[in-house]
Amino acid sequence: MPRTFRFPFRSRSRIASEVDEELASHLTMVATRLKEEGWAAPDAEAEARRRFGDLEYTRQYCRAEDFQREQEKSRMIVFEELRHDVSYALRGLRSSPGFTLIALATLAFGIGANTAIFSVVRGVLLEPLPFSAPDRIVRVWESSKSLGIPRGTFSEPDFLDLRTGSRLAESIGGYFFADGLTGVDLTHGGPPERLSAALVAPGFFETLRPRPLLGRAIAADEHTPGRNHVAVISSGLWKSRFAGDSKIVGQSITLNGDPFTVVGVMPQEFVYPAPQSLDVWIPLSNFGPDAIGRGRDAHFLSVIARLEAGVTPTRFQTEISGIVNRLSGTYAENSGWDNASVTSIRDSIVGEVRRPLLVLVAAVALVLLITCVNIASLLLARATARQRELAVRAALGAGRGRIIRQLLTESMTVALFGGVLGALLGYAAVRALVASGGVQLPRGSNLHVDGFVLVCTFLVSLVAGLLFGAMPAIRAAGPALEHKLRTSTRGSVGAGAPAQRLRGALVICQVALAVVLVAGAGLATKSFARLLSVDPGFRPEHVLVARISIPDASADTLRGPVYYEAVLDAIRSIPGVEAAGSIRDLPTRGVGEMRRAAQLGLPVGAGDADASVQLHHVSTDFFKAIGARFVSGRDFQLSDRAGAPIVLIVNEALAKRYWPGENVAGKVLHVGNTDLQIIGVVGDIHQRGPSEPVEPTLYIHALQNIRAGMSIVIRTKGDPMGLAGAVRNAIWSVNRDQPIAELTTMEDALGTSIARQKLLAWLLGIFGVLGLLLGALGIYGLLSFAVTQRRQEIGVRSALGAPASSVMRMILGHGMALATGGVIIGTIAAALLTQQLQAQLFGITPGDPGTYAEVIVVLLAAALLASWSPARRALAIDPVTAMRQE
Amino acid sequence: MPLQPLGLLQGTVDVLILKTLSRNPLHGYGISEFIRRQTSGDLAVEDAALYQALHRLERKGLVESEWGLSESNRRARIYSITPGGRKQLRSEVVELRRYVAALFRVLEPA
Repeated sequence: MPRTFRFPFRSRSRIASEVDEELASHLTMVATRLKEEGWAAPDAEAEARRRFGDLEYTRQYCRAEDFQREQEKSRMIVFEELRHDVSYALRGLRSSPGFTLIALATLAFGIGANTAIFSVVRGVLLEPLPFSAPDRIVRVWESSKSLGIPRGTFSEPDFLDLRTGSRLAESIGGYFFADGLTGVDLTHGGPPERLSAALVAPGFFETLRPRPLLGRAIAADEHTPGRNHVAVISSGLWKSRFAGDSKIVGQSITLNGDPFTVVGVMPQEFVYPAPQSLDVWIPLSNFGPDAIGRGRDAHFLSVIARLEAGVTPTRFQTEISGIVNRLSGTYAENSGWDNASVTSIRDSIVGEVRRPLLVLVAAVALVLLITCVNIASLLLARATARQRELAVRAALGAGRGRIIRQLLTESMTVALFGGVLGALLGYAAVRALVASGGVQLPRGSNLHVDGFVLVCTFLVSLVAGLLFGAMPAIRAAGPALEHKLRTSTRGSVGAGAPAQRLRGALVICQVALAVVLVAGAGLATKSFARLLSVDPGFRPEHVLVARISIPDASADTLRGPVYYEAVLDAIRSIPGVEAAGSIRDLPTRGVGEMRRAAQLGLPVGAGDADASVQLHHVSTDFFKAIGARFVSGRDFQLSDRAGAPIVLIVNEALAKRYWPGENVAGKVLHVGNTDLQIIGVVGDIHQRGPSEPVEPTLYIHALQNIRAGMSIVIRTKGDPMGLAGAVRNAIWSVNRDQPIAELTTMEDALGTSIARQKLLAWLLGIFGVLGLLLGALGIYGLLSFAVTQRRQEIGVRSALGAPASSVMRMILGHGMALATGGVIIGTIAAALLTQQLQAQLFGITPGDPGTYAEVIVVLLAAALLASWSPARRALAIDPVTAMRQE
Repeated sequence: MPLQPLGLLQGTVDVLILKTLSRNPLHGYGISEFIRRQTSGDLAVEDAALYQALHRLERKGLVESEWGLSESNRRARIYSITPGGRKQLRSEVVELRRYVAALFRVLEPA
């Protein structure tokens, strides 16, 4: 029986010969008539041609028309078949809502997760940086092996020496920026506002060369005092504060009480050096040495460079290292700073998130893969159940290719519907991610689902459809199809056995993939839990934080302390405030001022000459407000002020490092002619965040050494945010124009420091649970189907006296055998893949045996659970009914 | 001396072919003969134009064709009208009637 029914499409040559034949036949008929009318034979033929008209043109015309018709016809037929297949597929999907629902839901999730993660990867890693020729821009660090600082900032004199000394860079630029710390106060008709600012040194804009939205960048000669009251503002500030005024360029705004001329507006995507958003760029020269130290020991400048064409970063690094090394030999302050490190600017911006993002990409790819395997397995089961239907179609003349095409159409329909749902889900996820602001990713404000991402989603859907559709379709339309019409699927023992074996292999794959996902999830969530369980050294609950900066006009040594105490007193008098104190840098938001231990008179060992300590400026009651533990001694008092003997409080880490086992309170440090007395020891506060070790730290009373930055810590009785309004009014009761940079709970302020780990743990956790569910679903589906298929066999066994336990064992054994196979393969794969998580984990290694043991137990338990219900069903089979069914 | 056959207005070949085929399927030569006989030779469709029109009409789906035998047992391509062709014919005839009537209201006012 010929199975392939071909449509009579005519080839080009066939069309040509048919037209020729038709025209020749016409000419013959005309000639015949002419001969009947009395023409001589050769003349008759010539006359027939003459009467015809333009024969050659007509021949070409007819051929063209026919060919076009043939093409239209074949297009119609393909379209018609597709329409038929799609409507058939839709009918089939409607008739099995269970399958459709599971397939669509899992696909939507799998594709949605891919869309979301891919949007993030696109926005953060793939989109071009908003600089011209960004590949030639590098970030430069000064490094010191002896101080243990591989990537340090430069001092201004060192930076200027680099600019004059380097031959390989087209330009070298610098800036001072610390997220949430560097800022200026804007007073411009409205409430005073704290702007986040980058203080730029010469060369900054020449190196990056962003394309301004309006106006221009800061010019080379505008760093000179007298001409440096210029500002470039961000698109964000321009829109929010100046309502997108197109005449903003040239206008004057008041920053820190001084008039600045706005010279340009940067495009939305340019926020460098801030990770996500920045308000304003102003020349660093507006801040004198009294505000920012300019000695060779004051390292604060971040340095970037644009390399000459053809210069590699390595070559440039050699040059800079040479300069830095020379400086370290020349100036005493530079001793130890003998090397430099250079990376591409892209790596310096997104380098540290690349790995976690790629881990997430791998995880979502695994989720999608497991989803595909699951659907493939469901399709195989469906195809087995539809054998008769397919056999009938084959018998009616549908070819093998035709049946495969039809089954594939069904898969593709599922895949594309899943893709649409997934794209919507992904879009929603990205929106939520951006709205939550908790992404904490560099370039995180750049996230959106764009056309490129949607095209990728579409392609992913197609590939997924092929992946889960191809194998079942080819199998189902296998050569044995026609025999199946003759055999009854249910009756014959072993019918569909190869398909079941294939499904078994798929289930093993599913379990293996699930093991990898669950292992990743287990490691990430455990790591995060350990991070959370670290005692930070203070109690962040019920604490409100307000950040302000004492205005320049009040920041001198006379008026500063008065202002400082007035603000704190105003807050302390609010009912509901238990204690209020201040520190310059909140934990996780800065490390105070780094000082050499030796310079502060600490008893450093011989090999420790460069050891450093953190110095923090705090108020009275700071430790009480933040909830730190006093080990010994006393807190600062208001009498510890300018003129009184200078006193210090140290942390336990410092006490243990320099005076192990001794009573530290009462010790005196000698710095030049000044004596500094240690009056107390406090418990260690994790200043750099929970995952970092605590460094030796000194606290000094701000009234004895005033600093403008105040992070006011307010311990409240009830809900801290309930007092936010009262705190704001208290600050404004001291100074109506005092900008407040931030007013939030301590928990929120800390939350941002672990937001990334939290996100990673959450996402991997979700993917792990999904993988586990899909794996269990796979086992359940396979066994349920097997029990249905083997009803009779089980019935016969029962009838022949097989005990219930052996039937149970048979089914459970089947499920557990598959699960064990999957677990073995999966554990090996996971052990290899989770190595990539190394750098993201805290307090746990990627090979943590406990986690693996738990993963294996969880997977096997899930497999047992999934096998249970089919096994129960097998037990419930009544032998008589089962055997009578045939 | 017989009158010269009339030239044909644009588009009229199509309607003549459709009308001819609406009676019964025919090959190209038969169509041309039929039109000649019907108009006693006043209308002559040039063969080239006839075949171009036939293939064009077939592409438009107004006629269809298959190989068959002519009266003299010669292999010939036989054309027949499709339902779409009949519909087209009806509307074209209506149009032509209006056209001719309008023409004559100007040429021979009542």
